[in-house]
Amino acid sequence: MRVFTVLLLVLLVLVVAGPAVAGPLDMPGASQALVCSACHGFAGESRSNTMPILAGIAPWYFKKAIQDYAAGKRTSPEMEPYAKMVLQSGVDDIAAYFAAQARTASPVKLDPAAVERGRAAAVQCTLCHGVSGKGDPAKGVPDLTGQPPGYLRSQMLLFKADRRSPGDEQLKAVKALMRTIPDEQLADLAAYWSSVR
Amino acid sequence: MKESTRREFLRASSWAGLGLLGAGCAPKVSDFAQKPGRRVVVIGGGWGGATAAKYVRLADPSIEVVLLEPTREFVSCPFSNLVLSGQRTIENLTFNYDGLRARGVRVLHETATMIEPDARRVRVGTDALPYDRLIVSPGVEFQWDQVEGLAAAQDRVLHAWKAGPQTVELARQLQAMPDGGVFVLTIPPAAYRCPPGPYERTCQVAWYLKTNKPKAKLIVLDANPNIISKTGLFRAAWANYPNIEYRGSNKVVKVDPGAREVTTELGDKVKYDVLNLIPPQRAGTIAVTADLVGADKRWCEVNHLTYESVKHKNIHVIGDSTIGLPVPKSGNIANAMGKICAVAVTRLLNDKPVPTMAPGNTCYSWVSDREAIAVVNSYKIEAGKVVQIEQKLTPGQSEAWAQNAIGWANSIWQDMLG
Repeated sequence: MRVFTVLLLVLLVLVVAGPAVAGPLDMPGASQALVCSACHGFAGESRSNTMPILAGIAPWYFKKAIQDYAAGKRTSPEMEPYAKMVLQSGVDDIAAYFAAQARTASPVKLDPAAVERGRAAAVQCTLCHGVSGKGDPAKGVPDLTGQPPGYLRSQMLLFKADRRSPGDEQLKAVKALMRTIPDEQLADLAAYWSSVR
Repeated sequence: MKESTRREFLRASSWAGLGLLGAGCAPKVSDFAQKPGRRVVVIGGGWGGATAAKYVRLADPSIEVVLLEPTREFVSCPFSNLVLSGQRTIENLTFNYDGLRARGVRVLHETATMIEPDARRVRVGTDALPYDRLIVSPGVEFQWDQVEGLAAAQDRVLHAWKAGPQTVELARQLQAMPDGGVFVLTIPPAAYRCPPGPYERTCQVAWYLKTNKPKAKLIVLDANPNIISKTGLFRAAWANYPNIEYRGSNKVVKVDPGAREVTTELGDKVKYDVLNLIPPQRAGTIAVTADLVGADKRWCEVNHLTYESVKHKNIHVIGDSTIGLPVPKSGNIANAMGKICAVAVTRLLNDKPVPTMAPGNTCYSWVSDREAIAVVNSYKIEAGKVVQIEQKLTPGQSEAWAQNAIGWANSIWQDMLG
């Protein structure tokens, strides 16, 4: 009887949900996200050193980034126009699309010595981002792992100079921390977190 | 931790290509005389066509895609001005089509000679390829007859406006030019491929001369009244190059390679040691012979949602050949159009609604050996037409924008061909 009920429920779900999603571009948000792939790679799999990987990104973080770029809090002449476009074309669908994509870590080659130096220094990051570096959505802390080292380093430098979202209370602690870290060590930290899977 | 993706990209492409070689010999046009299932033919394997071919396969792998592209390798126009200043080699900007083959695109290195819209066939000489939908991405062709003496001197007067052997030859002539010599660069009236391209080239030639031949001069003869893209940023960059002599509203109407002299519309004669004459342009030849161009006989009008030609059904036109959208003729726009058109074509072939999609444009220009500037445009669809949301310029020039430019190039080459 229980098996029958389960089968019935499965059948009901299939009927209500309709046919399975057919191709990689059929998901809602996929077609609107195509404009991103020129820089961020197909399905958000950035292969470059400077553009962050969007595949597998947490929707809350993606949406905050888009809103901050559109509002000029994160200053970027590249991203501001695109962020406004994303807000107009459906940020929720696009966020859901990227969140559903499997993330492959950045292929940018890392200096093993820099990774090791970064590993030794990374304890200061783990207080907020966790030992895994995966972050904590409840506290608004993002996942650092596998991102391109160039992108991670540039963001740390922006925090250090208070040029990313000035006045954002949530970022006070990270900016204070960055000011205590020499620039060379930021590159090591970037290499380490890029290497973490 | 440098950008090394090009080498990795090529290595990956080569492996994919080897896999395909094992599957059989290179396809021939005659192999496609019959159409067993649904087929999209793409004419032109540049920024628009290569992207469209790839994305049709991504969107619906049950559709056969045949790409007609006469050249065996793709050479990137963006970044090719850096070949002139010696910052890049042409090999560094050259890619093969193995990545597309690995995605199941049937690549034929042939030239489409005619389109038969009623029969839905593309002619390649005496052979014919039937299609369900055709995507035409033929780039630009030069209007040789617009400059007296140019048609007869095509082999000696370099345009270097399609990256390849001419780019390499122009770099060689620049290097061989005596210190104290005069390099003349002429810019055609808009519309032409890559609006900021001639001004970036001005920067690269001026940087090279300033660094290597300090007594030499660069004269820029611009048919347009002023710099037509990133105007303030280029003006600021040129403050570092006193060797530039820029003359707006100086349309070149005649060239005399024997006398090493060009003549402007105003009747001024300008002598040169090295000449780079960028001719006026129109849509690629197949677009003209297939009657896809408008009354101006130059450019093709399209539907802003599907890129279907307003003149012929089931034929879509993308890239530099199009007109009527508020977008520049850029590689990034062609790439965006390729993706949008691919989705539209697959939806139409599956009797599904076409989603509303707008392009975007990110355009970097190198102003020295290490610094770049950028302009970015985003768009939306309003009442069935592409309209601009915003245009943003970098506040100045910097090495950081140059690093972003490298990231952009590596990403978009992969997006087209990987």
